[in-house]
Amino acid sequence: MERGVENQKKRSLRDSAIIAMVKFFRADWSGAFLAILILGIAIELATTGRPFFHPSNLMTILNNSAAIGVIAAGMTLVIITAGIDLSVGSVMGMAAALTGYVVSFWGFPPSVAIFTGLSLGLAVGFFNGSLVAYFGMPAFIVTLAGLSIWRGTGHLATGAQATPELPATFDYFGRYNPFASLREAYTNGELTGVWNSIGSFVDANWINFFRTFQMSMLIFVGFFILLTIIIANTRYGRWVYAIGSNEPGARQAGINTARYMLITYMFCSFTAALGALLFLGRAPYAKSDYGQMWELDAIAAVVIGGTSLFGGRGSLWGTFMGVILLKLINNGLTLAQLDTFWQMVVTGLIILIAVGIDIVRQSKNPESVRKLLAAISTVMAFLAAMTPGAIYLRAKIAILEHNAAEALKATGAQLAPGQNARLLSPSDLEAFEAALNANIGAAALLSLLVLASGYAVFKGNTMLTWVLSACFVLMMLPLVTMGYQITVPFLVLGAAVALGSNFVSTLFDRARALNANAT
Amino acid sequence: MWLGVLWEDSKLKLNLKLASVAVAAALIGSAANAQDVIGYITKSATNAGWMMINQGAEDAAAEEGVTLVAVGPSFQGDLSSQLEVFENLVAQGAAAIAVAPVDSAGIAPAVNDAMAAGIPVVAVDTGVSGAEVTSFVATDNYAVAKVQGAVAATLIDDGQTIIYVTGNQAQSTGQERRNGFIEAFSAARPNSEILEVPTEWNSQEAQEGVEAILNSRQDIAMVANAWDGGTMGAVAALRNLGYGAGDVQLVGFDGASDAIIAMREGWVHADTAQMLYQMGYQGIRAAAAAARGETVSPRIDTGFFLVTPSTSAVYSEMVGIE
Repeated sequence: MERGVENQKKRSLRDSAIIAMVKFFRADWSGAFLAILILGIAIELATTGRPFFHPSNLMTILNNSAAIGVIAAGMTLVIITAGIDLSVGSVMGMAAALTGYVVSFWGFPPSVAIFTGLSLGLAVGFFNGSLVAYFGMPAFIVTLAGLSIWRGTGHLATGAQATPELPATFDYFGRYNPFASLREAYTNGELTGVWNSIGSFVDANWINFFRTFQMSMLIFVGFFILLTIIIANTRYGRWVYAIGSNEPGARQAGINTARYMLITYMFCSFTAALGALLFLGRAPYAKSDYGQMWELDAIAAVVIGGTSLFGGRGSLWGTFMGVILLKLINNGLTLAQLDTFWQMVVTGLIILIAVGIDIVRQSKNPESVRKLLAAISTVMAFLAAMTPGAIYLRAKIAILEHNAAEALKATGAQLAPGQNARLLSPSDLEAFEAALNANIGAAALLSLLVLASGYAVFKGNTMLTWVLSACFVLMMLPLVTMGYQITVPFLVLGAAVALGSNFVSTLFDRARALNANAT
Repeated sequence: MWLGVLWEDSKLKLNLKLASVAVAAALIGSAANAQDVIGYITKSATNAGWMMINQGAEDAAAEEGVTLVAVGPSFQGDLSSQLEVFENLVAQGAAAIAVAPVDSAGIAPAVNDAMAAGIPVVAVDTGVSGAEVTSFVATDNYAVAKVQGAVAATLIDDGQTIIYVTGNQAQSTGQERRNGFIEAFSAARPNSEILEVPTEWNSQEAQEGVEAILNSRQDIAMVANAWDGGTMGAVAALRNLGYGAGDVQLVGFDGASDAIIAMREGWVHADTAQMLYQMGYQGIRAAAAAARGETVSPRIDTGFFLVTPSTSAVYSEMVGIE
């Protein structure tokens, strides 16, 4: 009797964990969130000094996400209606350039210039939206034309020249720090009583926290909270989804689809103009070539965030995560001082991981989740294998190139300066041969592990995964003795994920049973 | 990327049409007043530095009495449209072609074809690898970057950490500037750590990267830049984090007017200026001379100017910055 109660208690703890997990993976943003977490931990391990997850570093990322972030929010709504807006980058550039131009060269007061910029956004949106909603032109074509038209207009109107530095009012959209004046008053000794102690607290934590507490970030987060509330609680919000999932149906249900599409495109271009102001708040000057390729970044952020390009499904918080992920990649890889060309490769891989998690999440099929986990353990095995493997390959290729260049020279061919570099000095040649011999064993063993893990992707086998996890753990010893400590996190994660893949279907069954009980 | 391709493709057609119309019109004109047509393929029409080069090219054409057909790619770095425009100019019978290749090796086949057809080709700013050209008119980026690195080293103590903002590392200009800077700097300050911010000549990337590093480390003494767009991005990053002018040393490359103004305000401490206007001017002079059949030097170095707070007045007057 007592044991039964205890069992029930235990089970309920495990069950609530399962329920929490199901809830998490139901959210559109879980793919991007997991990718952020994985990337963050990887960068944490790769960098020294101040932790990557330091609040001031996270705030820097938020500050620099603000401009593209609000634009991606507008893009999210357009994509949920099953449309697309390719013109946002150009509209952003034009709005930024003209706002700066009228304030610098026409003597407009900043408030009027800001109003001009935002109205410009609305006007462009009205143009785009009318063509799409009332003239039935494809959104792709209208906004592709806009991409060219608005960029050209921006260049023409300003002569593609940069403005001088903008008035300080624009700082309120970007680098303005609400604590800066308090700190200044404190350092000048103008504060008394409780204000003085607040001032001393701010000053003591200035570099660690308050320095990066800026308007960009506040506007960015505030904008998303506000917009989420509006979308969740208004008719407009519901109808955006309705139009995206079934436009003729929505129209038959009495929704004025054309009007709401027009509003959505106007809002999207408005966010492009708002993004321009947020960008100007941090930029050195205003110029008409700002925002190039931003349409692709915005679309990427929306899709990474789990919004369907076919409309009807998606969320603003997913987009929020998507934007953060994109900026985090740049920030983290720069801090980790990864080679430029590797940064490009890694950026693409991380986007694939985020979208891969999202697709598997939507499939709701235990087998594909198992395959994903097995694939992740294969990737981990591959990364571990590449540590000695890259050294081995590099040595092998260098020797091959040396021999080929020697052979060319023997035939009397003339070598260009760039090709001469392929020839090795005798000491280098020796070093490379030593590297070959030192790494071949570990590289071969780990390659076997990669192949076995790869096999497990296609054919699930409980016994095999247990053996694989054991191999992951066992490989740590020789690798650490060889001095490749960096492989430890890969191997630990690989072992954990391989083990976990055994329990996927049990988890799914239990989650389904719980779900059935609940309903 | 499909979008980029689509966009470049549509723009390319526009460029080609423009180029052929312009060449055709110029050729009709040439029958009447026997003016040589010089094709001028530039890298950018909106970059501040390139606008100075293009101005030099126009002035030289006016002085030499030749007709200049200037065509730029829609995007900085768009090789395919440059190749098409190049072949088009050859086919339409330009007397000489000046080109600023976006890709040193990629443009080589087109250059070879033109030279084989007896049309002189002058490379401006960026060299061509894998093909002979009539003349190469440019600053020696590697040599100037070595000067930049050596000057930068004098601004800080050995052992202090610096940031270097790179240009596009897939282009020879970006590679030479980075290699030159790092070699000369490391030779003079062997114990200093250099943190790199990679960019593709985009000042936004420079701003965000510099901001990220400055925020995570408190020991940065200097930010050196491969071009002045990066310098201005670094100024913005410093301002965003509440630094004042002079708190961190800044070193630029190009001598662009906004960087020189920032130098007057105390932000920038040294800038190796390319003689941008001279590059366009000498390039078109060389092309015109070659078109007339005169011999031109195969390598014309347009030199550089070391701008520091003490020489900035001289430089400003020379290039016309108010």
